[in-house]
Amino acid sequence: MALIDAAALTKVYQLGQVEVPALRGVDVQVEEGEYVAITGPSGSGKSTLMHILGCLDSATSGTYRLAGEDVSGLSRRALARVRNHKVGFVFQTFNLMPRMTIDENVALPLQYRGGLSRRARLRRARALLERLGLDQRIGHRPDELSGGERQRVAVARALVGEPAMLLVDEPTGNLDSEAGAEVLRTFREVHEAGNTIVMVTHDMQVAGQAQRAIRIADGKVAA
Amino acid sequence: MSLLEALLVGFSEARRHLGQTLLSLLGLILGTGSIVTVLALFGGQTKQTQEFLQEVGGAGTVIVRDREQSERPTARELASDRLTYRDAEYLKDHATTLTAVAPGWASRMEYQTPKTHFNGQIIGTTPDYAVINDIRPMAGRYLSDLDVRRQARVMVLGWRFADSLFTAPEAALGQIVQLGGRAFVVVGVMEREEFYFAAWAGNSLAYRNQRAYIPITTAFSQYTGEDQGLSFLTLKAANPMGGRLATEQVTAMLRLRHGVEDFDVTPSGVGSSDDAQFFMLFNFIFLVVGIVSLIAGGVVIANILLASVVERVREFGTRMALGATGFQIFAQVLVQVAIIAVVGGLAGLGLGSALTGTVAFFMKMPAAVTPEIATLAIVTSLSVGVIAGLYPAYRAARLAPVEALRYG
Repeated sequence: MALIDAAALTKVYQLGQVEVPALRGVDVQVEEGEYVAITGPSGSGKSTLMHILGCLDSATSGTYRLAGEDVSGLSRRALARVRNHKVGFVFQTFNLMPRMTIDENVALPLQYRGGLSRRARLRRARALLERLGLDQRIGHRPDELSGGERQRVAVARALVGEPAMLLVDEPTGNLDSEAGAEVLRTFREVHEAGNTIVMVTHDMQVAGQAQRAIRIADGKVAA
Repeated sequence: MSLLEALLVGFSEARRHLGQTLLSLLGLILGTGSIVTVLALFGGQTKQTQEFLQEVGGAGTVIVRDREQSERPTARELASDRLTYRDAEYLKDHATTLTAVAPGWASRMEYQTPKTHFNGQIIGTTPDYAVINDIRPMAGRYLSDLDVRRQARVMVLGWRFADSLFTAPEAALGQIVQLGGRAFVVVGVMEREEFYFAAWAGNSLAYRNQRAYIPITTAFSQYTGEDQGLSFLTLKAANPMGGRLATEQVTAMLRLRHGVEDFDVTPSGVGSSDDAQFFMLFNFIFLVVGIVSLIAGGVVIANILLASVVERVREFGTRMALGATGFQIFAQVLVQVAIIAVVGGLAGLGLGSALTGTVAFFMKMPAAVTPEIATLAIVTSLSVGVIAGLYPAYRAARLAPVEALRYG
């Protein structure tokens, strides 16, 4: 069974009296271990799709099974748990906590999961940072790091909870080309280590890194 | 995430947002500080007042006075002799709940010696009066039962009068003083009585030093003749805690004798000192000021927290994306404000203690910050903070993750 199995997803936003459809019946399937790009122009509905796939939002209709669990219609609390266990987010703007050290940042998802001591959480975070070549930066704050390094910290944070998939939103959008290439190299390594990656981007060159691309236009999967 | 975990996170957050934390503290520090000061002063004053009441008679002292006649008195009221010396003698013989009975007759008269004259109070009473009020002569003796029985023309002078009439208390003994034209022999001079609510306040017992005591029987025979009406009747309950029982028995006995309740029985000290009342009012005003500043502090905290929640919407969105539940966000904000509030409470306690010390020192008033006051201050501060934090925390917890992430 596919890791991501979404069928006939629709999303309608209510703006006052006006109903604005963002998704008009999207089917998406992603196998475990795949590296998939979701592309499309801005306003196409790809961000909406990403939010639903990441369990940040619920579809208006349709079904969505993530790693075998039907997550359509779950409560806010249950969705938070699914995000924590199954999804690792990487944002365009990194979204690191500026006043925490990078190891504390990486350990954050484990803190919300509970069960591990602070010491154990930080040990896992540091091991991951070392794996991603950031061992020199442990104990520093995000603003002491370059953009590329920050995004790799964000990747470590996404991986720390061993999620079913990484959900990546325009990972190179805020980086120069050199740093961008470095981050994409990291994703390739992470993928080769067996992780599933779903990357949302409008940059065709970035999308070219993935094994396959799903093109969204006007709220539908374009042929 | 356990509560301990939430506490740790909240604490590190409060430390990280130190500027904001300190700003939020200001209102709480001032509020808690003034509350602490007020309570400390209040506690000191209450103790003072209790000591004062002890000084003017102590527990179990009861005073009976004539009640003002009603506008259209009944026949029974008109027939009553009001409080008389015979009532006092009856109570002394029959009231089992009493240990001492001191009838009192008070008047103002001219004091006259060969050298000087002035007007002052005289009290006609019995030896029990000194027992009930716990007063002692510093020279000579107080009135005796024999004085009362023989209607002796003897007097015991208050300290101030003895001092101004004869320069030294001992010199007064044996001297003759005219009271309203009748000659009396000074047989004793009372100790000086004093009580100060604050160093700058006057002696609240000064009036007791400016009077003379004569046997009540002498007062009647020399000044009133047939009329043996009393100005007051002071009683002491046998058991210090038995004031209420004594009050009931005395009321019943006197009502039977008078045929009507034309008298008031009040525990000593009730409304007895304008000074005590003044200090109570003073404290009350301070307390109101403190509560108002605390409320203001709470409003300030709520505002700053709301602003900080808005400022941190993206942060909360990110935390939610990483798996924080609404409750965890709620707890994070609330724990943060709780820590702010406790720190504020501690700082306020420090400020209040300093203020209390300063006031107590300069106004020479007794005041102390007790452990109870300290605990109350922290708890109050914590409650204000948590109540103020509820709404901002709720707002943060109810954010929609997608919109929070998109914010700013």
